[in-house]
Amino acid sequence: MKVYDVVPGLEFDPERDLAQSPAWFLDGTHSVPPWTPMFGWFWINFCRHGMQYGAEKLSLPTVKGWDWRFHNGGGYLTLLLVKSEEEKQRREEKFKRAILPLIQDYDGIWNGFVKEILGRYEELKRLDLDTATNVELLDNFEQTINTCRRMWEIHMYMMYGTYTAYILFENMCRELAGIDDTSPLFHNIVSGFDNKVFQVDKRLWEFSRRAVSDGLAPVFTDSEAPDIKGKLLTSDNGRVFMKDFNEFMNEDGWRMQRMSEINLPTWVEDPTPALGMVKQFILKGGSFNLDEERQKRSSDRQAAEKEVLAKVPVEQRGWFEQLMRLAQKSGIFSEEHDHYLDLYTHAMMRRSALGLGKRFVQAGALDNQEDVFFLIPDEIRRAGINPDQFDLRYIVERRRNDWLEWQKTPNPPAVLAEGFDLDQAMGVLVKSNDPIALKVVVGSMPQVRPELKADLYGSCGSPGVAEGIARVILNEDELHLVKEKDILVAASTSPSWTPVFSMISGVVVDRGASLSHAAIVGREYGIPVVMNVFEGTTKIKSGQRIKVDANLGTVYILDK
Amino acid sequence: MPEKWIYWFDEVSTTDNDLVGKKCANLGEMTRLGMRVPPGFAISVDGYERFMAESGAGEEIRRYVSDKADLLQTVNGQIEVGRVIRKFIESKPLPEMMKEELFSYYDELCRRSGLEDMAVAVRSSGAVSMPGQMETYLNVKGKEEVARKVIQVWGSAFTTRAIAFRIENNMVMEKAPIGVAVLKMVNAKCAGVCLTVLPTTGDTSKIVVEGNWGLGESVVSGEITPDQFIVDKACGDFQCSIGKKTKMVCYGPLGTRVADVPTEVQTQPCLTPDELEEICRIAKNVEAHFNAPQDTEWVVDSDLPFPENIFWVQTRPAKYAKKKADDAEYLADLMARIFKM
Repeated sequence: MKVYDVVPGLEFDPERDLAQSPAWFLDGTHSVPPWTPMFGWFWINFCRHGMQYGAEKLSLPTVKGWDWRFHNGGGYLTLLLVKSEEEKQRREEKFKRAILPLIQDYDGIWNGFVKEILGRYEELKRLDLDTATNVELLDNFEQTINTCRRMWEIHMYMMYGTYTAYILFENMCRELAGIDDTSPLFHNIVSGFDNKVFQVDKRLWEFSRRAVSDGLAPVFTDSEAPDIKGKLLTSDNGRVFMKDFNEFMNEDGWRMQRMSEINLPTWVEDPTPALGMVKQFILKGGSFNLDEERQKRSSDRQAAEKEVLAKVPVEQRGWFEQLMRLAQKSGIFSEEHDHYLDLYTHAMMRRSALGLGKRFVQAGALDNQEDVFFLIPDEIRRAGINPDQFDLRYIVERRRNDWLEWQKTPNPPAVLAEGFDLDQAMGVLVKSNDPIALKVVVGSMPQVRPELKADLYGSCGSPGVAEGIARVILNEDELHLVKEKDILVAASTSPSWTPVFSMISGVVVDRGASLSHAAIVGREYGIPVVMNVFEGTTKIKSGQRIKVDANLGTVYILDK
Repeated sequence: MPEKWIYWFDEVSTTDNDLVGKKCANLGEMTRLGMRVPPGFAISVDGYERFMAESGAGEEIRRYVSDKADLLQTVNGQIEVGRVIRKFIESKPLPEMMKEELFSYYDELCRRSGLEDMAVAVRSSGAVSMPGQMETYLNVKGKEEVARKVIQVWGSAFTTRAIAFRIENNMVMEKAPIGVAVLKMVNAKCAGVCLTVLPTTGDTSKIVVEGNWGLGESVVSGEITPDQFIVDKACGDFQCSIGKKTKMVCYGPLGTRVADVPTEVQTQPCLTPDELEEICRIAKNVEAHFNAPQDTEWVVDSDLPFPENIFWVQTRPAKYAKKKADDAEYLADLMARIFKM
């Protein structure tokens, strides 16, 4: 019985693919734990498409985006390098014209994209999945595929352009002002801004205040998160609260706990995670500390801007300041795009696929609605209009078995051609000058300084010093274990982790660069973040007392 | 010829350029824009014409130059002719009728300011750009002295360069489209310039204010390092570099003199934040009115209370380096370079 590849045309084939490129890297941030087949199909196809589209639209001089392969639920990537000097020059000339609109009207372009993509989501949501015909459901799914494709085009065009500006700003700060991206002064310049993710967190905080004033606080504090909704619905007050809360979820709840997967409920389907955050805000009490923090950040930022501008020769300040404004938008974009692009699109994928899944179950093609995530679009098309004619369960069965296998053995972090080592591979990444590879994947390598006698060395993502109890969190499900004043230790963080930043006193992450989530959010909350320690989650145990000094990039385990 | 040849500043505006000359028309326009201009009046080009006619100086000049065509072809000849003509003019008293009128305006100006024999500045105000018409007399006191300086300003229309200009442009020798501004001397605590653009970069998002203790001449001449404030137009934040101001220009018994700045205030900023803010506020308004970056001169009076102590004596379109081709294109170039590292 033939079962198709998960991502036809883009399955990893060691023999051929290592001949094409000697180094393939696992995308550990997004594809650990391994993806469901459907999500993998979407990501490999369209993230790949978006990166090549963005690199081509901007005509990046040295790199044509990334190539991606699917291997056992993992995404493997390599760079598509421009081969000849002559082509580099041609691309460079075009690049100078192509990047201009982003320099001149960054906000106009980004806001236009946000409007476009939100319009597409509204269009998709208009279909009532329960009453739609099979033809309409299939059409909705096809439109979702197109939306995902378009989302990645916007995503990568913006990301390449934004990060290019950011890297130039870092270089210019080094050249003209003598500060680099691990310097606290630099961090002060790029923080102190509001963004959509913070606004959503603030809404959650406002609901926590309302719960208190409506006398509903005990419902939250006395129950576990999954029971809160049920208990609220037993009182008039609670029902009104839930009605407004659902409305808020319908606006901003199109996201899932894991950013790059679709097999967990969205907040719209199940507001438990969101209600859990309201509960945490109630327990914590006080004001929304991000507001106060932002005011402080904002005045720190203005002082830092002045300090840096004063170091720049007067006749260079014009363009330098314009560049600084662009770089400051990088942090905002880095956070906001997760909300408007990845999270929302993935929620739309889940919604549309579940609509079909339900119909497939009714027609007997599947046993469970969620089994649809073990199918890929070609298989869905097979049964889309006439699900009663097909049995897809054999595909699901085999794929699920594969998927369960993938969970047992971690994918290797890199697959390298014989005679090619990881250092050489990293060298290729750096030499590509690919802005995304540099800013998100590679980061600055930690400097080991034995005289500091630290247990771990990393780089500064957000300045400051803190001491507290370590809380090692390996996935989002464990976030509720985080307590006030803890120091969060993780492999990396994503936007759904943002709310805990209001409670913790510091962060240690295994990987990351200055535009990684942990660094950006850490700076907004004014807490120290040490990144790129590589072995934080393996060396530090939950409950240990640790001290982080982000200014020096060190972590000390105090009770070994 | 119209009877009226003296106007209060608020009676004229930029449309009266040909009547009272650029400086006066500009001062008139400034009063209309809400810029506090030192009180004073404008003597129109008709005043000059009338003086030349009634005093006989015009006729004398005509006769004198009628056979000097050859002499005027040489530089030495131009120097000689200019010297003679200025002597003709400066030797003539102001005709009685004109004197009465001028004195009545000066008396009224003194009365309005509540000062006797008030110190004024007497400045030339050319209606066309003509080199050499730059004569300015500061700290002029008393009506007879004012009359004398007005005549000297008229005479300044016959500097060597101005004569050369007339010959090159085939202009009649005794004609000079020159007005005169007579305005109260501000008892300057400090003074300086304010540009609503960074002249070196063409950055129009900034204002640069430079100032020194005393009169503004020391700042304009560039002989000392003044205080410099660079102000962001949008948020009002500013960066300042405070110069060590060792010298300043102040009034002498007559005219002006250079004086030492007391050591204890040499490194003190000459403007308070309030004064700086007010100067920038008004400069921005003026820039918006003319829709072009402005080059202005301001004086802060040491006797009057804030904000009545801020006076303006000049605004004109600023000269500045055009913005580097385009900052955006420059940035695009720089961005291309990061792919080569």
